[in-house]
Amino acid sequence: MENDPQPEIRKAPFARMIMDDFMLLLFLGVTIYAIFYLLWGVMELSNLPAIPEDIKQILNK
Amino acid sequence: MFRTCDITGFKVDLRSEKLIRYNAVFAVISLLLAVTAAILLVFTRYQPVHLLGAEWYYRLVTFHGLNALIFWIIFFEIAGLYFGSTVVLNTRFCAPRLGWIAFGLMVAGLVLSNVIILMGKADVMLTSYTPLKAHPLYYLGIILFAVGALLAVILFFGNLMIARREKAYGETMPLFTYGLMTAAIIAVITLASGALIYIPTFLWSLGLIDNIDPAMYKLIWWGLGHSSQQINVAAMVSIWYMVSFLSVGGTSINERVSRTAFVLYILFICLASAHHLLTDPGVSSAWKVWNTSYAMYLAVLASMIHAFAVPSSFESAQRRWGYNKGLFQWLSKAPWGNPAFSSIILAIIGFGFIGGTTGVIFGMEQTNIIVHNTIAIPGHFKGTVVIGTTLTFMGVTYYLIPLIFRRKIVGFGLAKWQPWLFFIGIALLSISMIVLGQLGVPRRHWDSTFSGGPFTYNFNPAVDFFWTLMMLGGSLAFISTIIWILIVVISVFFGPKVKGPDDMQLSISPLAPAAKAHKGFEAPGTLILTMLFLLVFLALFFLNWKWLAATWNVN
Repeated sequence: MENDPQPEIRKAPFARMIMDDFMLLLFLGVTIYAIFYLLWGVMELSNLPAIPEDIKQILNK
Repeated sequence: MFRTCDITGFKVDLRSEKLIRYNAVFAVISLLLAVTAAILLVFTRYQPVHLLGAEWYYRLVTFHGLNALIFWIIFFEIAGLYFGSTVVLNTRFCAPRLGWIAFGLMVAGLVLSNVIILMGKADVMLTSYTPLKAHPLYYLGIILFAVGALLAVILFFGNLMIARREKAYGETMPLFTYGLMTAAIIAVITLASGALIYIPTFLWSLGLIDNIDPAMYKLIWWGLGHSSQQINVAAMVSIWYMVSFLSVGGTSINERVSRTAFVLYILFICLASAHHLLTDPGVSSAWKVWNTSYAMYLAVLASMIHAFAVPSSFESAQRRWGYNKGLFQWLSKAPWGNPAFSSIILAIIGFGFIGGTTGVIFGMEQTNIIVHNTIAIPGHFKGTVVIGTTLTFMGVTYYLIPLIFRRKIVGFGLAKWQPWLFFIGIALLSISMIVLGQLGVPRRHWDSTFSGGPFTYNFNPAVDFFWTLMMLGGSLAFISTIIWILIVVISVFFGPKVKGPDDMQLSISPLAPAAKAHKGFEAPGTLILTMLFLLVFLALFFLNWKWLAATWNVN
């Protein structure tokens, strides 16, 4: 028994493990998009100063 | 529950096959609706005819955009996702009932949105920028469709999990399915953005929310609007690899690099949505430049990798079949009589030379200003979504008819011509629109002469020639699309049944023999073609900068 050949367990290379992990890729894809496009963009738009009241009134006329 | 395909040897889950069929049928219905509106729009913008009144023009712009860019594409992609995650992996469908619920939601969304548009209660165009307000049921229709599509994408991941657990594939999933996985991940990003913007807009249309900030709306909406077209890119490229495999037994000459290119899509391609906001003052230059240049170029790099990898997979396989003479015998001896093959090659050429080059140039903050909001922009995406994605989907359908619908292609002789007609038509349409845009013609504008308006503008007289060319191209593309729809519908519903591999009209090639030891490049012909592409791109790039300098003279 002890001399039986053990099945060889081949470990996939690290890079391929990452590339084959679709949940990790999903997480990375959503995160990069959320940070660089969405959150950064929303922060910039949120920090815009409000339109001055006198200009607003002129525009609303 | 399963049948074994006598042509491919795949174990086909019958429940999955039925879902693929129904989604594909609704894709074709959506395309018919889209092109019917398109031809009316072409003859409205073509000033000598000026067919529709202003109201119906904007109504059909909305109708065309939604059916062409959302319904046609996503129904077809869902069919593709189910095909790639069950049939190709020889595995079962994880939850067929949920698949039907997803399909039902998508159909309900399609019907509801289209009816509301045609009733004249949603003349807001596809972008529906606030404060333009449509009827609440229009937004509800889109939300229903998006929820159905998101459910279908989740089912795709469920199928992948089953396949992985049951070891349905070897060490790693096939490249085609890997590409579809990329499309599915991009779809999650897209649909999440859609939910983020359409749900508040729906509540606003009901009067439950006071205001939707237009700048915020635009930012989030383009996360849906542009990313949805990146789903197409990933799905389209996956099909290119699959058709190379089916038609000549080709595989990527470096699969790891091709996979890396798909990963670059996942990580960076959705950031390119920012180029729709390049003239918006609310976001900073840093945000614009990072998203449209540094990050987007990594996605462009991925497209360039695929642009080399796909033709080289054809070339490498052809050379291994013995077509080794000179630089281009592999191309001259290619299976041009196979409409799926010719569609894919033409789609690659059109997507690269028209859609790809203009995509990079128009996506840059500086050169974008020459054509922003002109008709060149829809001209660009005729070069990506139509000549690229739609022609690819048309091409692969010639394989789906015998393999999934189990029917022969009726009018096969005509089917050989159809991709060429479509390519010429859309190329004419697209290039004319791009030139018109360069000459300053606005997009989504009912009357280019501005008749009766307080301002007028005398365009360069050359625009008349390009309007005519656009009308001719649009007409040709319309005719070839109708030919394709007729071939598909007649084949699927009335075509004779396929009686095994010998009855196939399209060849399915065995895997090309292993490469013998060789010196030099594995795909020299593709290398030359790629260099030609780069030269064209550089010429256009230079021309646009030169144009910018001439337009905006800085002293």
